[in-house]
Amino acid sequence: MKSTPASQALVVIRKELRDWSRDRRSIITVIISSLLAPGLIFFLFNSQANRQRSAEDVTIPVVGAANAPALIDWLRQQAGVTIGDGPADAEEAVRSRREDVVLVIPDTFAKNFRASKPAQIRLVADGSSQNSRPKVRRVTNLLQRYNGEIASLRLISRGLSPAVASVLNIEDVEVSSSQQRAAQILGFIPLFVMISAFTGAMAIATDSTAGERERGSFEALLVNPAPRIAIAAGKWLAGTLTAMLTVLITAGLLFTMFKQLPLQDLGIRFRLGQPELIRTLVVVLPLAPLIVAIQMYVATFAKSFKEAQSYLSLLMVAQMVPGMMATMNTLSTKAWMYYVPWLGQQTLLTDVLGSKPINPMTLVIVGVINITLAAVVLRAVAGLLHRERIIFGR
Amino acid sequence: MIRVDNLHKHFGDVHAVNDVTFSAPDGQVTGLLGPNGAGKTTTLRMLYTLMRPDQGKIFVDGIDAVADPQGARFALGVLPDQSGLYPRLTAREHIEYFGELQGVTGADLRSRTDHLLTMLDMTAIADRRVAGFSHGERTKTALARAIVHNPKNVLLDEPTNGLDVMSTRAVREIIRRLRDEGHTVLFSSHVMQEVSALCDTIVVMARGQIVAAGSPDDLRRKTGHENLEDAFVALSGLEAEAETSPP
Repeated sequence: MKSTPASQALVVIRKELRDWSRDRRSIITVIISSLLAPGLIFFLFNSQANRQRSAEDVTIPVVGAANAPALIDWLRQQAGVTIGDGPADAEEAVRSRREDVVLVIPDTFAKNFRASKPAQIRLVADGSSQNSRPKVRRVTNLLQRYNGEIASLRLISRGLSPAVASVLNIEDVEVSSSQQRAAQILGFIPLFVMISAFTGAMAIATDSTAGERERGSFEALLVNPAPRIAIAAGKWLAGTLTAMLTVLITAGLLFTMFKQLPLQDLGIRFRLGQPELIRTLVVVLPLAPLIVAIQMYVATFAKSFKEAQSYLSLLMVAQMVPGMMATMNTLSTKAWMYYVPWLGQQTLLTDVLGSKPINPMTLVIVGVINITLAAVVLRAVAGLLHRERIIFGR
Repeated sequence: MIRVDNLHKHFGDVHAVNDVTFSAPDGQVTGLLGPNGAGKTTTLRMLYTLMRPDQGKIFVDGIDAVADPQGARFALGVLPDQSGLYPRLTAREHIEYFGELQGVTGADLRSRTDHLLTMLDMTAIADRRVAGFSHGERTKTALARAIVHNPKNVLLDEPTNGLDVMSTRAVREIIRRLRDEGHTVLFSSHVMQEVSALCDTIVVMARGQIVAAGSPDDLRRKTGHENLEDAFVALSGLEAEAETSPP
């Protein structure tokens, strides 16, 4: 009839997990928090892709279409292009943002065109409008292509190779703002995965500390001949398991979702496959024990579940800071950053998602640092359980 | 067997427990009687090792509970002042949780749990979550989990406080049974009838001090009151405060 601290910790784990699995609130938290990240990223990406696509399906309002029927016909033949009637006052229409871009063809066009002189056309656009930029660029590109084609035809008709006139062969490598934004969205992934660990741990971390205080059950529990560290460790391990479970679900959903995303439409050469999934988990999972230990330590000071939750929301904001700074590109990677909890995970995950090679030794050291810190905090939690004010103070 | 020697505890300026010395022998029920705020709960908390005395010695079956609280806990079963249950667990799960922490497992644990549930007349609600339990059902659950490991010494803080007649009888029944099996039972109460109905020895506390101790007959003789309640009032000095009429 002897029990060891290890077996007692196991008993506590079983009890806490059972208690947790019956708490509808905690289960809903896990579901919502693991759906949040994939959902939000999916939404951001899709709206980004839609904007991109809307630039391809373009309606060009033309003033004076009758002055250049050949050009208009050519434009109509281009994929996704529709020609619309131009407004009476083109500049006013663009300035008031009724139109993104208006093409104005003066009546001198036909004469100059036939004479092989530069035929003037006007592209009315507002350079300060973010939204119209892809569309303007698309129209400009179309006109330049038309320009190139006609020029080639003219050269050929004069017995020259069009290649003579092509001094440069420019290949477009797009690093436009929309792609940058897409990359920024990807930068949120590490943050979201870490947040899911945090929210997944919260239910047990608060219920098994502040919750016990609120119910007045610490007294009866601690009278049992189990060392405080065994009881604290049991609660901690149970919390760690739920945190890890939430991370697994979140990461799994993220990666399933990425298979459905129209990444090609955004011109992103980006892979999130099984190796990246596994590396992400290897980076984030060792953080879970530390997150739970810190949450427990903070929540033990709270007299009620609610009080604990408000402390932990502050903690959650604090843990988001490194991730935010990294996403906003205000941090440049330095070697020491890998070894600071949270910052290290953020940096490592950025590397993982950027397909940079990762030194396995770094992973090992980061893991060891996290788990050691978790053990230190856990000891402190066990220390708190000796305090009379914590056991009896309600 | 519990022995307490010269126990002191301060909370700031308040001398909550002041030089308390008594012993609770095996096979007897000892009652800690006193008005609210007399220091009964604080004394019990020191006995069950969750509070450190500022001064004094506590021996549980000869184990120094101040120096070796862990060792003393193996010999203790405790019903604290708060029942402190987990709303989402059933009564049976509460009993099994504490049994397992005490090292009781398997078939042994199951038979003890069933035995306690029967004895406390709880079989019908054994597998219900305690969230909807009445006060009496909660106390009985807390009592069952406190003694599932068959501890030699049982400490109960106001066990029948606020219970209805049937629950009170069940708790008294358990206390008598424990005594007959040779356990040390120490419980606190501010209700005279409770103590006189159950106790072999009464320790009367007031303002952190022991004002009298002995069998109910001893106390009657000492105070010259036939009625035990009058004896209690005289001993605890409540009379002077309330300025009630003389007996």
